[in-house]
Amino acid sequence: MIELVNVKKVFNAGNPSEFSALNSVNLRIAENQVTVLKGPSGSGKTTLLSIVGCMSRPSAGRVKLQGREITSLPERFLTDIRRKTFGFIFQQPNLIKGISVLDNVMLPAYPLGEKRSHLKIKAMNGLSELNIANKAASKVEWLSGGEAQRASIVRALINDPHIIIADEPTAHLDTKLSYRFMEIIEKFKAEGKTVIITSHDPLVYESSMVDRVVNLRDGQIEG
Amino acid sequence: MRNWIEKQRYIIDFTISSLLRRKVKNFGLLALYTLIVFILASTMFFTYAIKKEASLILKGAPEIVVQKIVAGRHDLFPVSYIETIKNIRGVASVESRLWGYYYDSLVSANYTLLTPPSSDAAKPSAKTTVVESESGGKPAKPLYELNGAVLEPGTLIIGNGIARLRNIGKDDYMPFRAFDGKVMNFRIAGVLSSQSELVSSDLMLITGEDFRKLFGIDQSHVTDLTVAVNNPSEVEMVASKIKKHLPDARPIIRDEILRTYDSIFNWRGGMMIVIFSAAVLAFVIFAWDKASGLSAGERREIGILKAVGWETSDVIQMKFWEGAVVSLTAFFSGVILAYVHVFFTGSIVFEPALKGWSSLYPNFELTPFVNLEQLTTLFFLTVVPYTVATIVPIWRAATIDPDSAMRFTGE
Repeated sequence: MIELVNVKKVFNAGNPSEFSALNSVNLRIAENQVTVLKGPSGSGKTTLLSIVGCMSRPSAGRVKLQGREITSLPERFLTDIRRKTFGFIFQQPNLIKGISVLDNVMLPAYPLGEKRSHLKIKAMNGLSELNIANKAASKVEWLSGGEAQRASIVRALINDPHIIIADEPTAHLDTKLSYRFMEIIEKFKAEGKTVIITSHDPLVYESSMVDRVVNLRDGQIEG
Repeated sequence: MRNWIEKQRYIIDFTISSLLRRKVKNFGLLALYTLIVFILASTMFFTYAIKKEASLILKGAPEIVVQKIVAGRHDLFPVSYIETIKNIRGVASVESRLWGYYYDSLVSANYTLLTPPSSDAAKPSAKTTVVESESGGKPAKPLYELNGAVLEPGTLIIGNGIARLRNIGKDDYMPFRAFDGKVMNFRIAGVLSSQSELVSSDLMLITGEDFRKLFGIDQSHVTDLTVAVNNPSEVEMVASKIKKHLPDARPIIRDEILRTYDSIFNWRGGMMIVIFSAAVLAFVIFAWDKASGLSAGERREIGILKAVGWETSDVIQMKFWEGAVVSLTAFFSGVILAYVHVFFTGSIVFEPALKGWSSLYPNFELTPFVNLEQLTTLFFLTVVPYTVATIVPIWRAATIDPDSAMRFTGE
C-alpha cells in the first residue's frame, strides 16, 4: 500500500516564478487495484505520480510504501526501490534511439547485473506476450507508435515490478491501440499488480477494470 | 561479484553503443584529438631521438678542441703553439686540424671541408675506416666512415647530402674557386657512409695540401687543434691550463658541444610546440565545449536511464568510459602514428623545421629512442584533462531528478 500524508510540492521555491504543484495531498492507494489520477492539464497528476514513483521528492509531507517511510531515504536507496518496485510507462515511449528494441527493453536490468542469457530470455518472453518479438532486433526509430508503446511496456516490466505507473499512456494512441493498452492493464491486474495511471481520457477512467478514480484540480484532491 | 562484473560489462557495452550512435561527432573528435597527440608526440620523439643521436655521435668527438681567438673571433692557429700544449701534464696527444666552410653559389649551400687526421687518409688496405669509435666503454657512433675510398691529392670524399644536392658520385669532378680566384678541379674519390649523415651530410674530406691551396693557408698555421687527455676527469683541468699558458687560445671541451646541441634541438622542439600550441588551444576549447555542453538528446537519454532505474554513479561511470575510450584511443593512435612518422618515414611533415641548417638536409633514419617520462607527461596533458572535462557536466546532469524524462513531450 502507498500512503501520502500532507504532501506538498513547490517548484522554483523562493523565486518570483515559484509555483505550487501539489497542496496538502493525502491519499491511500490500495494494492492489486487499478487507480486512475484524473484531472485537467496542470492539475498536478504527473507531479503526484513522480512522487509516488520515487522519481522526485515532495517539498513537504511524507510518502510511505508498505508502511515504510521513504521520503527521507538517500538517492541510492530510492533508486533501488524505484528499480525493483516500480515499472514506468511514460506518455511518450521514451526509448533510446539508435539501439535495438531488445537492448532498450533490457536497459532497466543492466544495473542489477543479471546474467545476459537469462535477461535476454525474459525480455524476449515479454516482447512475445505483446506480439512484438519479431521487432526485437529492429532499431526503435523504425517502430510504429503502438509498437513503441508496447516496447516501453515490456521495458517497464523487465524487473518484474509490483507497481506499474503509467503517465497519460493513451495520449498518443488511437482508439484501437488505447483499448489494446487497457487489455494489457487488465492482464496486470489479473496478475496481482498494482496499477496507477494518470489520464484525462474517458476511455481510461470510465473503463470497467478501474477500481478507483482520484480527481485532482489545482494540486488538490477533489471530493 | 559475478553480478558486479556483469553490470560493468553491460555498462561498457552500452558505452560503446552510445559512441557508435553518435558516429560522426565522435569520429570527428577522435580524429582531431589524434592529430593533436600526433603533433606533440612527433615533436617530442624527434627532439629526444635527435639529441640522443647527436650525443652518441659526439661521444666520439675530441675531448678538447683548441682554437685561437683574436678580438673575440676564431683565427688561424699557429703551429708553434702545439709544443706548448704537448708539454702540459696530462695531455696524451695533440693533433692539428684543417677545416673550413666553402659556399657553393650554384646550389646556395655551405659545405664543411675537413682534412682527416693523417692516420686515416690514404689507407688503401682499409675497407672501412671508422674515426673515433670508442668512448668510455659505450660504443659511440662514427663521425664519418670512409668506405674503402682512398683520399689522394686532387681528390675529395663527399657527404651524402652534397652527392644528392649536386647529383654527383664517385669519379665525377667538382670545380672550386680558390682564395686567389683560380679554379681547382677535384675528382670525387668516394661518398661517405650514410650512417652518420646527421653530422656528415655536408662534409667533404680533402687532403691537407689541397686545403691549403684552396684557402691560402700557409704551413705555419692550422685551423685548430684536438687534444686527447689521459684521464677523463682531468679534461677541465687541462683546458684551464691551456688557457693559462696560451691566453689567446680557447679550449672547448666535448661536454660544451653536447650542451650546445642539446639547447639547439630543445629550442627547435620548443619552437614547434609554440607554433602548434595554437592548435592545442583550439582543441582544448573544442573539447571543453563538447564536454561541457551536453546536447538535449544526451540530457534526455540521461533522464530516461535514471527514470528506468540507473543510479547517478552508473550514468557517470558510463560517461567516464565514453571519455576514456575516446581519449585513450586518440592517445595511443597519436603516439603510434608519431612513432611511425618519426622513426620510419623520417618525419616528413616536420623535416624542414626540425633538421638541417640551410639547403642541405641530412637524410637519415633515427634510432628509436622513447623517453617514458615525456610520454607520461603527454598522457597527463591530454587524456586526464579531457576525461575530467567530460565528467563534471555529466555529474551535474546526472544528479537531476529523473522525473524530467516523464515531462519530456517531444520525440
